[in-house]
Amino acid sequence: MKASRGERIFYRVNDILLFLVGLSCLFPILHILSLSVSGQKAIASGKVGIWPVDLNLESYSLLLKGTPVVNGFKNSVIITVVGVALSMIMTILAAYPLSKEYMYGRKLFTKIVVFTMLFGGGLIPSYLVIQSMGLVNSYNALWLPGLISTYNMLVMKTFFQNIPHELEEAARIDGCSEWRLIVQIYLPLSMPCIATLSLFYGVSYWNAFKNVLIYINDTKKYNLSVLIQQMIKSQTLLDPNYIQVEDIEQMTSEGVSSAGIMVMVIPMMIVYPFLQKYFVKGVMLGSVKG
Amino acid sequence: MSIRQHDMRLAPETNKQNLSLKRKRRIRQNIPLFIMFIPVLLYYLIFKYLPMGGLIIAFKDYNFADGIMGSPWVGMQNFKLLFRGTNTVNIIRNTFRLSILNIVFGFPVPIILAIMLNEVRKTWFKKSVQTIIYLPHFFSWVIVGGMVISIFSQESGIVNHFVEMFRGEPYPFLYKEGSWISIFIGSGIWKGAGFGAIVYLAALTSIDMSLYEAAHIDGAGKWQQIRHITLPGIKQTIVIMFILQTGNIMEVGFDQVYMLQNNVVSGVADVISTYVYRVGLQGAQFSISTAMGFFESLVGLVLVSASNSLANRFDEGLW
Repeated sequence: MKASRGERIFYRVNDILLFLVGLSCLFPILHILSLSVSGQKAIASGKVGIWPVDLNLESYSLLLKGTPVVNGFKNSVIITVVGVALSMIMTILAAYPLSKEYMYGRKLFTKIVVFTMLFGGGLIPSYLVIQSMGLVNSYNALWLPGLISTYNMLVMKTFFQNIPHELEEAARIDGCSEWRLIVQIYLPLSMPCIATLSLFYGVSYWNAFKNVLIYINDTKKYNLSVLIQQMIKSQTLLDPNYIQVEDIEQMTSEGVSSAGIMVMVIPMMIVYPFLQKYFVKGVMLGSVKG
Repeated sequence: MSIRQHDMRLAPETNKQNLSLKRKRRIRQNIPLFIMFIPVLLYYLIFKYLPMGGLIIAFKDYNFADGIMGSPWVGMQNFKLLFRGTNTVNIIRNTFRLSILNIVFGFPVPIILAIMLNEVRKTWFKKSVQTIIYLPHFFSWVIVGGMVISIFSQESGIVNHFVEMFRGEPYPFLYKEGSWISIFIGSGIWKGAGFGAIVYLAALTSIDMSLYEAAHIDGAGKWQQIRHITLPGIKQTIVIMFILQTGNIMEVGFDQVYMLQNNVVSGVADVISTYVYRVGLQGAQFSISTAMGFFESLVGLVLVSASNSLANRFDEGLW
């Protein structure tokens, strides 16, 4: 199909516009990156664009030594790894039975589950439940209430339903038990979906903010999100034993909080390219009506 | 399966026996399913349905000593307080304003992006743009909020660096109500629009390419092709996404507001979720903040049901 002159112009303009959209997505990230490695004076004068001025790593060394960022990083990793494992197990435990047409009460259970997407008790009643279970100030308060994302679970269920029935029937004739069926047939075939959902759960646990703010009181248990938010909003987390008073005044907090933002962004940027091909598929699966 | 059906046809007298056998088999198959499903059911009951029951404290004067069941009933008093207080009415109005603006400006952007991406001829370019525009979705509001604060900061922000060059003095973007709202809506679009386009891109792949070729031969320009082929092709997806969006109308994200908000703009920036957090959790006024949360959930439920039944009338409903 040969493009007419009007169409060629259309394609050209379209490409340029999308290029600008892409740039506008990259710009803030590059800007923060260069802020985090620029000199304090250059930052204060607003000269830093997407290119570092007066290149140095002082902000990172201040961040490492003057704030509990290493501990926060460790906490974020723990929250994420344990959270993803628990959530994936529960999501599969929910999705598999609901994907089976021979399950008794399947429609009713599906309704019970889907209704929670439309209506909920809200923050305070949830807090009272968690509090009465004695979970406040423990990571269980982050993991347990969010074990299953109903949306993710429905994606998983649809994926199970689309696995050809012939496989299951053949395995059953060979005397395969339900458990072996799941472990040896369904799970291996569902790896793309499991990878996608793990990424989604991983991102939400890594970015956990509100729940940490609400349920965790001990500052030693804070994750990166809350630590960095407090750095951005104030400088109270800077350790006065390490940083001299004149340093605090001289130091623009921006360099340090930019470095903090980068500490949160960089791990995500590292895994992102590997998982990108999966999540595009995963979202498309979700668009299949369950 | 098919072998047994065959048997049944051959020997009708054993039908009954077969049926009970079948039932037994089904029960046997259901046992592992229910073993799996019990923890799931417990999860939903404890962490989803129990809090719904806890909503009754919206009709009570909750105090810690008496607990949820023991606290005295007060009827609709908490709701009366909410809808008569100037401050709380203002908060409800802010919530509606921000989310309606979010839909008006934010909803079309992913659709436009998807259509634009669909018109790219070079695969490598399309893939690169997609990779980049999906990325902000994975950043938390702490990160995006930090970026916004840094970029628009009055003292050292890059934007004000340029504003100062032209205007002579910096502009307090985050401290003026109008510009704060624009930044709020804009940052939401920046973060979510690219990823939001995936759903529409998925829908676009199902459009028959020969339609475009036929239209091209008939002399239809690009705009006509988009209007008459592309848009009708993704109409159903657009409607579904719109229903889902209206259901979330009351949920102006807590994280986003909490990150961007400051005392100067709280007149437009204070929303239901931040109110519930501040008054409920920090101020320990559980009953009135639960009433506010209840109102939020209820409006969401009504809106999503209403827009779904509206969509059903056009055979595009979600359920």
